Amino acid sequence: VLEYDDREQHIRIIRDSVEAVGPPGDLSRIRRLRFTETGFEAATWRTICNLGWPGLRLPEVRGGAGLGMTEFCALTEELGRRLVPEPLIEVAMAAEFLGDSDVERLLRGEFLVLPAWQEGPQASVRVEAAFRQGRLNGRKSFIPAAGGADGFVVLAREGPVLVRRTAPGVSLSLRATQDGGHYGELILQDAVGDPCFGDFTSALRSATLATAAYLLGVMEQAFAITLDYLRLRQQFGRPIGSFQALQHRAADLKLCIALTRASVEAAANLLDSAGPEVDQTTAVRRAKSRAGDAALRVAREAIQLHGAVGYTDEHDIGLYLRKAMTLANRYGSAHAHRAAHAIDRYAGGLS
Amino acid sequence: VTPVGGQSFDDMNLLSDDDFRGAVRRFVEANYPPQLRNQTRRLHWSENRVWYMALSAKGWLAPSWPREHGGMGLAAAKQLIMIEEFERHGCARISDMGPAMLGPLLIQHGSESQKAHFLPKILSGDHIWCQGYSEPNAGSDLAAVATTATLDGDSWVINGQKTWTTLANDANWIFVLARTDRQAKKQEGISFLLAPMDAPGITVRPIINLDLFDEFSEVFFDNVRIPADHLVGAVNQGWTITKAQLGFERVHIGSPRLSAYALARLRQIAERAGVWDDPAFRDRYVALEFDLADHKALYEIYAGRLKRGEPLGHDVSLLKLNQSELFQRIADFMLEIAGDEAGLLEPPEGDRALHAAGLFLLARPTTIFGGTSEILRNVISRNVLNLPN
Repeated sequence: VLEYDDREQHIRIIRDSVEAVGPPGDLSRIRRLRFTETGFEAATWRTICNLGWPGLRLPEVRGGAGLGMTEFCALTEELGRRLVPEPLIEVAMAAEFLGDSDVERLLRGEFLVLPAWQEGPQASVRVEAAFRQGRLNGRKSFIPAAGGADGFVVLAREGPVLVRRTAPGVSLSLRATQDGGHYGELILQDAVGDPCFGDFTSALRSATLATAAYLLGVMEQAFAITLDYLRLRQQFGRPIGSFQALQHRAADLKLCIALTRASVEAAANLLDSAGPEVDQTTAVRRAKSRAGDAALRVAREAIQLHGAVGYTDEHDIGLYLRKAMTLANRYGSAHAHRAAHAIDRYAGGLS
Repeated sequence: VTPVGGQSFDDMNLLSDDDFRGAVRRFVEANYPPQLRNQTRRLHWSENRVWYMALSAKGWLAPSWPREHGGMGLAAAKQLIMIEEFERHGCARISDMGPAMLGPLLIQHGSESQKAHFLPKILSGDHIWCQGYSEPNAGSDLAAVATTATLDGDSWVINGQKTWTTLANDANWIFVLARTDRQAKKQEGISFLLAPMDAPGITVRPIINLDLFDEFSEVFFDNVRIPADHLVGAVNQGWTITKAQLGFERVHIGSPRLSAYALARLRQIAERAGVWDDPAFRDRYVALEFDLADHKALYEIYAGRLKRGEPLGHDVSLLKLNQSELFQRIADFMLEIAGDEAGLLEPPEGDRALHAAGLFLLARPTTIFGGTSEILRNVISRNVLNLPN
């Protein structure tokens, strides 16, 4: 475990490095990529790989940087601030299951693999897909950024299986999402796949928490834009940010964000210190439900505080709302996480 | 130098946090009166005296004071540990206006003779202080105090009225903010004065609060004469010297203890009311459980800043805002599920833990005292978010 100051220093360096994909204020690239086929840019993906982000948490023997969730969450938070559409969280999750040669290609940016685990709109690991005699059959849906993928780690009843996109029996269709990206739906009919190995629960937990951190960045930036607007926008001869009704709403949003940060950082810390499994699960559920609720609230309020201009596609604030709408329920909604916790913790009777 | 036979210079700062915590825990377990654990209301001096004197005898009454004045000279982080251990054990708050408020202020701003006279009497329990700040027309707008002090020969003459004076009926001394310059800007005409409660012209009238407890009083000053040397600091500097609050107090006021206590009671009351297994109840309960855990995480952030000696910043106001409103959400829900027991004056079966109405009332003032939630939102929007005036 690194000393506190060293770790803070690391995290600062990681945060600073995200400038490589653009400053938080400039969303022209994000607008340009909206509703395109892949929804992201190959060139930026190469930059991301050159910076070593997909392998940030992989052990050094596997070509990674061997860092923890705290660092990864700091990174995804910065990506969220910029609404970066490149599927880092998903690729990093998939990397955990790949063999050494595939992982090497993935880290070089030559083989983009995404997890395909859901089979419906609810983030559930109950799966029907089957892998027998080297052949995959089933249907996977809600795969973010699937249009840019070279392969998928498909969760079958028998375990995770790597399948190439171009393999016979693999067909992919896309549905656009509010944030300008899309979900892929994968139909697998006797598709050839290679079994792979890894702890799916743990990988999913990490991706869930990283998404909560991404949402933290989304709300931080949406809030910053909104505060600027409150300071500048004049009505009745004064900046609207001088009105106490609006000031108190802003203070409440600040509290929402502070609680999300506390929750996300505490969960990341717990994962890094390898706390008991059940505590890790609870902490991540808490962080994701906090982040989902808070991101939607901050984004809704941001629109309201902008007034009519907030309802135009031209203004950037709407892009944050669309991102929050897309990510709030990804890896489980606030309600789903609370319900799952209630069942795990209390359904077996009084603990 | 360690004399033979024992350690006389037992500077607690030298202990590791864990060792210190252990020492506090052992002392509390051995010395705290068991019948006073987990009180939900403040205790009068007659009730908390035994614990006050135990702390006094141990030399632990004034953790924040320098050792030369009889305090522990304890680092902020260890003060917080001490408070956490007291809370864990369910220790009631003592009559702490002397050790917690006046003492640190005198040490910083008092004259040598004031320090020599008053500090030992706080430590010995001879002087029990109350705080004369709020007035009928100076609550959130404290700088509007209208009580006056006028210099007449070698005496200050105080006239006016204080209110919400906590446990004034126990105190034998009061420290007072009084206006000494009516022409100056309102913050710049206030002085800080000390008065014995038995001075002619002081009248105390207890106020019964919603919990039917005489926690506060009104204190009336009718030509009360005190010696000129009972002024602390310079004339008209009273506002400045009282404004600086100690770091650990600003964190401690946001401690998750009350909400944690309330959530445990919520479960007990839900089981009693037969709704514990109701999914609609359960969803709201889990939301509150998550709220509390996240509040603890927020608290740890500020406690961590204290421990590393970092400045707190105005954003520490978020902590008290969230703590008090969370406590209310839990207490409100408790009342909602308690059925007709919500209206009971006395605890069901004589068990305070089952008394939804008691906790509900206890939660009311937490968003009012120590900065109302509305004032805290003002502070956050102006000083943290820099929104315009």
